[in-house]
Amino acid sequence: MRRLPVFFLLDTSGSMYGEPIQALNNALSGMVNTLRLDPQALDSLWLSIITFDKEVKELMPLTELVHFQLPEISCPQSGPTHTGRALEFLHGRVTSEVRKSTPTQKGDWRPLLFIFTDGKPSDLQLYREMIPQIKALNFAAVVGCAAGKAADNGLLKELADTVVHLDTADSATLKQFFKWVSDTIEQGNKSMGTTSQVVLPPPPQEVILIV
Amino acid sequence: MGKTYIQQLFKAYNITVDAGRQQLFEEFMSDERNILAAEQIITNQRLLMDTWQFKNRLADIQQQQVVIPNATVGKAYTARFDFAQLKWEDFTWSGINGLEDIGLAYDTATAEIKGTPVKSGDFKIRLQYRLQGQAEETPLNEKLVSLVINPNPRSLWKDLPSDREGAFWKEDNVTAFAPLGDKHLVAASKRGRSHANTGAYRDDDFAFTHLADSGWSILAVADGAGSAIASREGSRLACNYIIDYFEKEFSPALQADFDALLAEYATTGSDATQKKLTRFVYDILGAAAFTTHKKLDEFAGGQGMSLKDFHSTLIFVLLKKYVHGYVIMSFGVGDCPIGLVHTGASDITLMNRLDVGEFGGGTRFITMPEIFKSDTFATRFGFKLVPGFSYLMLMTDGIYDPKFEVEANLDRLSAWQSLLADLGGQNDDRIQVTLDAPSEDTARQLAAWMDFWSPGNHDDRTLMIIC
Repeated sequence: MRRLPVFFLLDTSGSMYGEPIQALNNALSGMVNTLRLDPQALDSLWLSIITFDKEVKELMPLTELVHFQLPEISCPQSGPTHTGRALEFLHGRVTSEVRKSTPTQKGDWRPLLFIFTDGKPSDLQLYREMIPQIKALNFAAVVGCAAGKAADNGLLKELADTVVHLDTADSATLKQFFKWVSDTIEQGNKSMGTTSQVVLPPPPQEVILIV
Repeated sequence: MGKTYIQQLFKAYNITVDAGRQQLFEEFMSDERNILAAEQIITNQRLLMDTWQFKNRLADIQQQQVVIPNATVGKAYTARFDFAQLKWEDFTWSGINGLEDIGLAYDTATAEIKGTPVKSGDFKIRLQYRLQGQAEETPLNEKLVSLVINPNPRSLWKDLPSDREGAFWKEDNVTAFAPLGDKHLVAASKRGRSHANTGAYRDDDFAFTHLADSGWSILAVADGAGSAIASREGSRLACNYIIDYFEKEFSPALQADFDALLAEYATTGSDATQKKLTRFVYDILGAAAFTTHKKLDEFAGGQGMSLKDFHSTLIFVLLKKYVHGYVIMSFGVGDCPIGLVHTGASDITLMNRLDVGEFGGGTRFITMPEIFKSDTFATRFGFKLVPGFSYLMLMTDGIYDPKFEVEANLDRLSAWQSLLADLGGQNDDRIQVTLDAPSEDTARQLAAWMDFWSPGNHDDRTLMIIC
């Protein structure tokens, strides 16, 4: 069976502490519940959650939606945002976990990457070094989400094909955003040639698309 | 015990007993009332400590992360609380109420949740328990444990008709039956569950014709790309353009050339003739493919759309019976296989190599100009002259994915034999497709067979069988 691997990179640096992280937890949980009602997703979707602050943690290794249990995401009260190291870690996971077609193995659908941040990389040099390597992984879509005033849209744009900006990381906005994420995921398992990008559904009103 | 306690107590409060008062102190410590008082203190202290420890233990259990596997509606489920692993050896009793509503039950003896869930959702189940040392009459302790029950994916698929008013509308499901010389064609094309679920169109298509004058049959199957907005029209046009091409361009003169070449090949079998034959196949089928590409491009332009919007795979076959046997010539771009099952199902020839990318869905289309320039273009053609055959099958990946799974299986006779057995009735739904006596009914049976359930495989399905 073909899997659709979806990776989430979530910023859990100090600035997310408090209400934002709570809102993120709620929104993710809502998203997983929505996806569970999609028969296609139940059959093929695999999810992974990686968080990054000072440390990079694989909170949930790539797991089939049917068996997926959303872990509680927490964050330290302060500290840097090691986005570059998160990309480095992700690169390793995608390389080892995502299956490619061979005559005897069914390849996965091209993976999707969602990266959520409310700041900018503290390890900018590594971040920039990792960008070409991440692009070489041939994701069907890399979607960046910049939440709040401190988030750097421009830096995210260097990595992601699509960058959306959320003015606030409150519960209602995040919920809307992750509803859109689940719509995007539902687009992911279609034949589309070898390199073309997945066509994203129109974003909700609360989301500003950075072109 | 009481004495020691009193001594320690006095010491802690720096109360010293003078040497001259030792006798009096001894008497004090031997007084039963004082001993009793001291012992009461000790008992109370113990009670406090034990109660604290107990509360602490309860809090630990409360905080402990207990994860049980997710369940799915309609699927037998068992989850055991491993008391040793959870460090719950001090549990003397456990129970869960209310599981019956969701089709489950808890077995206190084995600490297992068992049953077949009937309801989906995110449930918090109340595990009740009693710890060692807790009296029978004390209220039970409770811990909430999350249990996710997935819906049964089969129950979630909707079957929404496609919009008849929409651009490039086509029938959701079609079948065909036709005699082709001394053979028969049986075909069905069905919209996949993934499309039916959203009221989307069928992207697959097929077309065929039998040129009665010359005895040539032309067969085409195509699968529009899921991500292209007008691919359903792309697949339809690709098939029809191929039929058109051969109806118009495969002139009697050209056919006569081929007949002569084939006669030469059948008698001499020389390398030189084979080369000429290969060249012929390449020229005429290649021209048909390229013309189809160009016409699609023109059509897209006429619609003010991009050729990419019409992305579709395409396989086609030219078939004719000669005195020397059956000639089968083929062309293919994309991931739809053409399989020739030899007489008695004794051998299999896969007529084309599939274009499979490193990821799912990463294939190639007739609408891609680069396929004609690539040095692999010559590998897209097939030619076979056989004395007879059992079946010739053209299928889209909606059939190939669930029935063959991987490319390597297409070369294995056993995989084709399994497919034939499956079509013969060895399937969950006990549907038999009577290919040995083909008729209109056979096509309907094929369409019914095509509803087979295969997790994760919900693409459009098209299968054309010549038998």
